[in-house]
Amino acid sequence: MTIVRIGLAAVGALAVGGAVAALVGSGTVLSLLTQAVIYAVFASGVGLLLRQNGMVSFGHALYFGLSGYALGIVLQLGWMPAELALVAVLAAIGAVAFVVGLVIVRVPGVAFSMMTLAIGQMLFLTASRSRGLTGGADGMNINWPSTLFGVPQSLLLKPAVLFLVCWCVMVLVVAGLALLLRGRFGAVTEAVRDNEERARFIGLRTLAPRAAIYALSAVIAALGGSLSALNTGFVSPEALHWSVSGVALMMVVVGGYRALWGPPLGAIVYFLFKDVLGDWASHWMAIFGIALITVIVFSPTGLAGALERLLPSRRKRAAAAGRPASAH
Amino acid sequence: MLTINLFNGLVYGALLIVMCSGLALIYGLRRVVNFAHGSLYMLGAYLGYTIALKTNFWVALVGAPAVMALFGVLLDRYGFRLLQDRDPLTVVLVTFGLLLVIEDFVQTVWGKSNLTVDAPAALSRSVDFFGTPLPAYRLAVVVIGALVALGLTAWLRWSKAGLFVRAASTDPVTTAMQGVNTDALSAGVVGLGTALAGLAGVVAAPFLSLSPSMSSDVIIDSFVVVVIGGLGSLGGAFVAAMVLGMVQALGAVYLPDLSAVLPFVIMVAVLIWKPAGFAGSRT
Amino acid sequence: MSDYVLQAEDVAIHYGGVKALDGVALTLERGQIRGLIGPNGAGKSTVIDAITGRRRLTRGRVRLGGEDVTALGPVERRRRGLSRSFQRTSIFGQMRVRRQVELAAHSMNPEGSEADAEAVLRELDLLARADDVAEDLGYGEQRRLDLALALVGRPTVLLLDEPMAGLSVKESLDLAQHLKALTSRWNVSVLLVEHDMDVVFGISDVVTVFELGRVIASGEPAAVRADPRVREAYLGSAA
Repeated sequence: MTIVRIGLAAVGALAVGGAVAALVGSGTVLSLLTQAVIYAVFASGVGLLLRQNGMVSFGHALYFGLSGYALGIVLQLGWMPAELALVAVLAAIGAVAFVVGLVIVRVPGVAFSMMTLAIGQMLFLTASRSRGLTGGADGMNINWPSTLFGVPQSLLLKPAVLFLVCWCVMVLVVAGLALLLRGRFGAVTEAVRDNEERARFIGLRTLAPRAAIYALSAVIAALGGSLSALNTGFVSPEALHWSVSGVALMMVVVGGYRALWGPPLGAIVYFLFKDVLGDWASHWMAIFGIALITVIVFSPTGLAGALERLLPSRRKRAAAAGRPASAH
Repeated sequence: MLTINLFNGLVYGALLIVMCSGLALIYGLRRVVNFAHGSLYMLGAYLGYTIALKTNFWVALVGAPAVMALFGVLLDRYGFRLLQDRDPLTVVLVTFGLLLVIEDFVQTVWGKSNLTVDAPAALSRSVDFFGTPLPAYRLAVVVIGALVALGLTAWLRWSKAGLFVRAASTDPVTTAMQGVNTDALSAGVVGLGTALAGLAGVVAAPFLSLSPSMSSDVIIDSFVVVVIGGLGSLGGAFVAAMVLGMVQALGAVYLPDLSAVLPFVIMVAVLIWKPAGFAGSRT
Repeated sequence: MSDYVLQAEDVAIHYGGVKALDGVALTLERGQIRGLIGPNGAGKSTVIDAITGRRRLTRGRVRLGGEDVTALGPVERRRRGLSRSFQRTSIFGQMRVRRQVELAAHSMNPEGSEADAEAVLRELDLLARADDVAEDLGYGEQRRLDLALALVGRPTVLLLDEPMAGLSVKESLDLAQHLKALTSRWNVSVLLVEHDMDVVFGISDVVTVFELGRVIASGEPAAVRADPRVREAYLGSAA
């Protein structure tokens, strides 16, 4: 996609968000949508790792929860103003994740996935048991100041405003990734993903780019965590549990990981479904498990992939070239 | 005191042997890391509970694994076989979906609260071991673990079917070309793998109690074992299971704060040193 | 000595009792095409692996333009102008053709990577497929893409590992002539491993014959063809 098209799509998406914020009256609905959007950001991080590195992480909740905890601790200790804390936490997580990435992206295939599961659970168990600063299994409150970036809390926490803030972050993340990945960095990481050996033989170093993607995916997941911390003012070990990572992964697969807007789509579908399920909601695990299996078997590129295949512009182009449209 | 702790390590290690040999077998033949294995263990335990309620523990000991074996055969026939040409991560995600379905099923049928299963009367006593009283049931668990380990090793080494299994896990195409019905073989082995998970569940029930979280408790440890031992290596899994069992048991007593984290630290350390695990993985 | 763009000195690769290469010496002059022939298992592909750094040497040195690159890995050697193609097609399946060729060009020639890629795609008749995803290409097109990835960026030395594999007789000869013209125009020196005798003797300036990890003959095509050792080991009476 060209820069112009990305820009236009972003503006359009922002407008949609604005419309929703203005027109939806129900605070409950907006709250639900806000949660969906927060998870959309989180899922984008998980999806990025899968899309660019071809790696499945069952442990990204680690970064999602870690940012909440980091913010909580920093604000409680009063080390810096909240605005700076938001940036500092993301930067720190990025740095740590890069170092971690340098080590763990060398682990091949499924062993990597298993390792992410283990590391995530490690932090979950540690957070559950350490009382002290983090409140152990009960979690901790996050002391947000009365104004953030000049905006008073009373305004910021209004359902419509908070939704809009989260929505804008999501749009910027997706648009930002689209811009970043169309260039050389995107090409390098795709090449390493597709054929690591050949990548070396065309002169590319293969470790640092993969670690960088891992770090970026961690930062995005952490960004989701920061939004969540803002939304609830609270963080607990539950945010680090592997099931949270699993849910994000489900959103990525069901939404489709090839398209950058796939994971957000998956998140929104997930939350809408959960809401619509009503009485059946207690069986959400089975239903999503079946949905996951169905999507993987019948449409590996997820809902986004299926939608793209249906788009008329693709069909015309494919027909003209006399070959089936590939899901790109 | 030390004897008891070492013994408990032995017991947990034996349990992991039964669990992880199933995981290793399934991986060896189908190249699938079965993320649902912990849920199968849990399902086996709960099935055992119900069967034991209606009849007795001994029937459950045979019955639950039998049901799980059937489930495994179906899983292979309608799951793994149909997906065998797909990317391995795809199949992993399918097993993850299966995990969710089984968890839900168990919670729906048996509820969320903890259930207890009593050890059979014949084993509810202590055996004297050089002055230390050891629960007979747990001793039996160790025996079962040893029998499984020895039995599998012997079967793989000396039986015809075992030969076919070793051949098929090294090179399925050539093995099939030699006239071995690899599909039937895979179904059988996966069935055996799921039966072992179920057996582990039934055996664990009297001393670990049944709860919806038992699957996640055990799956992480199983992954640690299998990764350290080397994916697909049965021998590696046996050794790693014993090591982990000991580490868990001793850690819980002597280093309680670190004990939860220790297995992961070991796993991470091993993977950094040897990204394919100790016995190496067959790709 | 330092006039050679590529030099392999006493290269050996031993593992587990097998001597895949045993004291191989090779040279390549500027603008030269050297053919490497020999029976299956003679070590031809292994020589390319050794020179490009894909396999570690048990013994010996590799020099690129006089510089000792033995301790360097494939990435470093590529950046110094040593490029190779693969016998089993090795491309980036899910990337578009143009994008991957431009990427390959970039590490060698950051400024002119787009123009470079365009030129190579045109020469190898891949422009029509430039916007397609690599895995959608036909076999022949994918082989050419593999070649394009090696050729782009004006390497000093190009190692070709059975580039004609799977092509028809006519296609092979066409490609051979095309490569000869191209490498001559772009001043690329070539080491060509190939089974097809007509191709090798058709375009090579010099030929080296391998057997069981050793060089048994080396020189001008006509001389090599007539060499009795070569006839006995490899060509038989068909030559």
